[in-house]
Amino acid sequence: MIKKISYAVGVLALLFGLWGVYVRLFEGEQSANYGSYISWGLWVAIYLFLAGVSAGAYMLATFDYLFNVPQFKGTGKTMLWASLVTLPAGLASIGMDLGHMERIWKVYLQPNFTSFLALMVWGYTIFLILIAISLYLAIKAPEKAALKAVMWIGFVVSILVAGGVGFLLGGNAARMYWHVGLLPVQFPVFAIASGAALMLLLVGWFMPSLDGKQRGDLLWLLAIISIATSVAKLYFLLADFTQSLYGGAVDNVIAVQSVLTGPYRFSFWVVQIVIGLLIPLLVLPQPKLAKNGFVAGLMGLFLLIGYVAARILIVVPGQIPEMMPGQAEVFHGPKLSLAYTPSLMEWSVTSAVLGFAILGILIGMDYLLDYLTRVMEAKK
Amino acid sequence: MTEANLLEKYASEVFAGLVAPVAEGLEISALSAEDLPAKEDALVRMERELKRALEKPVSERRWVMVIDLRRCVGCNACTVACVAENKLPPGVVYRPVITEEIGTYPNVTMRFLPRPCMQCDKPPCTEVCPVTATYKNEEGIVVIDYEQCIGCRACMAACPYGARTFDFGYYYLEQLPVLDETIVGMETASGYEHASQEYGRAWKREKRHDSPIGNVRKCHFCLHRIKDGILPACVTTCIGRATYFGDANDPDSLVSELISQPNVIRLKEELGTEPRVYYIV
Repeated sequence: MIKKISYAVGVLALLFGLWGVYVRLFEGEQSANYGSYISWGLWVAIYLFLAGVSAGAYMLATFDYLFNVPQFKGTGKTMLWASLVTLPAGLASIGMDLGHMERIWKVYLQPNFTSFLALMVWGYTIFLILIAISLYLAIKAPEKAALKAVMWIGFVVSILVAGGVGFLLGGNAARMYWHVGLLPVQFPVFAIASGAALMLLLVGWFMPSLDGKQRGDLLWLLAIISIATSVAKLYFLLADFTQSLYGGAVDNVIAVQSVLTGPYRFSFWVVQIVIGLLIPLLVLPQPKLAKNGFVAGLMGLFLLIGYVAARILIVVPGQIPEMMPGQAEVFHGPKLSLAYTPSLMEWSVTSAVLGFAILGILIGMDYLLDYLTRVMEAKK
Repeated sequence: MTEANLLEKYASEVFAGLVAPVAEGLEISALSAEDLPAKEDALVRMERELKRALEKPVSERRWVMVIDLRRCVGCNACTVACVAENKLPPGVVYRPVITEEIGTYPNVTMRFLPRPCMQCDKPPCTEVCPVTATYKNEEGIVVIDYEQCIGCRACMAACPYGARTFDFGYYYLEQLPVLDETIVGMETASGYEHASQEYGRAWKREKRHDSPIGNVRKCHFCLHRIKDGILPACVTTCIGRATYFGDANDPDSLVSELISQPNVIRLKEELGTEPRVYYIV
C-alpha cells in the first residue's frame, strides 16, 4: 500500500513539476521569486539537500561493502542506486537555477579553477562517475577487491564533496551568516544524517524482503545514527545561533532573527525543529517503535523534510542582511526585494526534481537493480 | 542711505572692523569678468585629462572614481543617467544612491552615498566565477563577458557591496498598448531599450534568452564612453560636481589631487578588496 502511494506521489509530483519545468525553460526566470538581493533560493537549497543525500547514501553503502557491518549486509546496492539517482536530481535543481544553463559545458571546457563552484562541478562529476562504477562493480562482482578500492576512493570523495558544499557557502567572506569555519565540517555530518534518514525510509517502507531480525537490527542501528546526528545538528544550531546573537554582529543577528522570530519562523520551529528533529528524537529512541517498519519509514521522511527546511534556512537567511544597508529602499523594480518565499513555479520545478528522485529510486529498487543483476549473471 | 551708512548701521562690531575701509568711504566698483581668476569647470579638466590618459599604454592607466559626499545632494541624476546610458531594464541598477536619514522626525537630515561598482583591485566576485566570465580587464575594470556568463549568480553572492544585479528579461515598455499613433507600443518603441552599447558592442536583447538576459550585470565605469574620450555618464550628469573620474597614475590629474588628501575613505577596507572608488568625507 505504501509503495503504491509512493509511486502515485512520485507520478503526481512529476506531472505537477512538468508545468514548472516548461515555464522555466521557455519563459525564463521571471516567475521565480529569487532576485538580485536574495539571489539563491529554493533550487539551490534543494541542490544542497539532494547532494547531501547522495553523499550520505554513498557513505552508508560503504557500511556494507567496505566496513562489512553485518546489519547493512545486502543493502549496499540499494544505497548506491539511491546515491546515483539523487545526485543528478540535485544537479538538475541547480541547473534550473542557471540563467544560461545551455552554457554549462563551459564549466568543463573553460573552467576557472580558482572558483570553488567550478571545483564542485568537477568534484560532483567525478563523484557521479565513481558512484556509477561502484554500482556496476557491486552488481557484477561484489566480492572482488576492485569494488573495495573504488569504494574507498568514493568514500573519501563523498566526504570531500559534502564538505565542499559547506565551503561553497562558508568561503564567502561577504556573508557573515555563512562565513563560519565549521560549515565545511558540519556538511559531511548533515550528509550522513540525510543518508541515514533516507535509508530509514527505504528499509522501513520498501525493503520487507530483508530477513526479519536483520531488518529490525538495521532499523535500530539507523535510528541510533539518526539520533546521534540529530543531536549533533541541534548542537551545531545552538552553537551557531547563540554565538551569533551573543556576538551581536549585525548581519548575523539579522539573519538569525529572521529564522527565530522573522518570516522563516514557521519553517524553523514547526518544520525543522518539531517535525524534523523533536518528533524523531522522541520516537526513535524507543526500540519497539524504531524497529517498526512503518514508523521508522515515517521518521525517515520527517527527518528528510526537516533537512530540506534546514538547507533553505541556511541558504536564504544568509542573504537577507543588505550588503549596503538601505540599498533595497532607494531603487525599486522587479526582483529587488529582501523578502523571499518560493513561487509556485519554483515549487513546481522542485516537485519535478523530487518526483524524478522518488520514481527513480522506486523503479530501481523494484525492477532495474534486479534486471541488471540478472543481465550480469547471464553474462557470467 | 549710502552703502557705507548701511554697513555702519547694521554691521556688528567685529564685522565693522572688517568693513572699516569701506565705511571710511572707499570707492566700491564691480569687477569685470576679465578681472576674475579663471576657474575651469571640473568636467572640462577631467575631459582633458581623460584624453591625455588615453594616449598612454592601457596598462599604465589607473581609472579611479572619487565621490565627494559633501557635495552630493541626493538628486539621483547619476542613477538615472546610468539607466539611460546603459539602457538598464527594470530590476537592474548599477549606481543607486543610498540614502540615510539621521535624527527623528521632524528633526531629520539626510546623508547620501552613491554606490557604483568599486572596481576592486582584489575583487571577491571574479575568483568565484566558474567560467571566468567576470574578470579585471587590462585597464583594471571588472567586466562581465555576457556571452560567457552562465548566470549562476555566485559573483552576486560574493560581492560585499551588492554592486551586481541580475537581468531577468524585463522591459519598461512591456504591456504598453498601441493607440492611434499616440501611444506607439512596445513593438515600435522598444528599440530604445534594446540599444545598449555596453562593452563597445550592441546588445539587441530582443528574445527571452538573449544575453544579457539571464546574466549578472554591473557598473563598468562606462568603458564604451571612456574609449571615445567621454567621461562616464554619472560623472557628466552630476549637478553638484560630486563625482570625479580619471587616471590616478597621472600625478597632475584632478583625481590624484583629491585622493591624496587625508579626508578620503574607501568602503569596507577591512575586507582587503582594494576598491578603486574613493569617497571624500
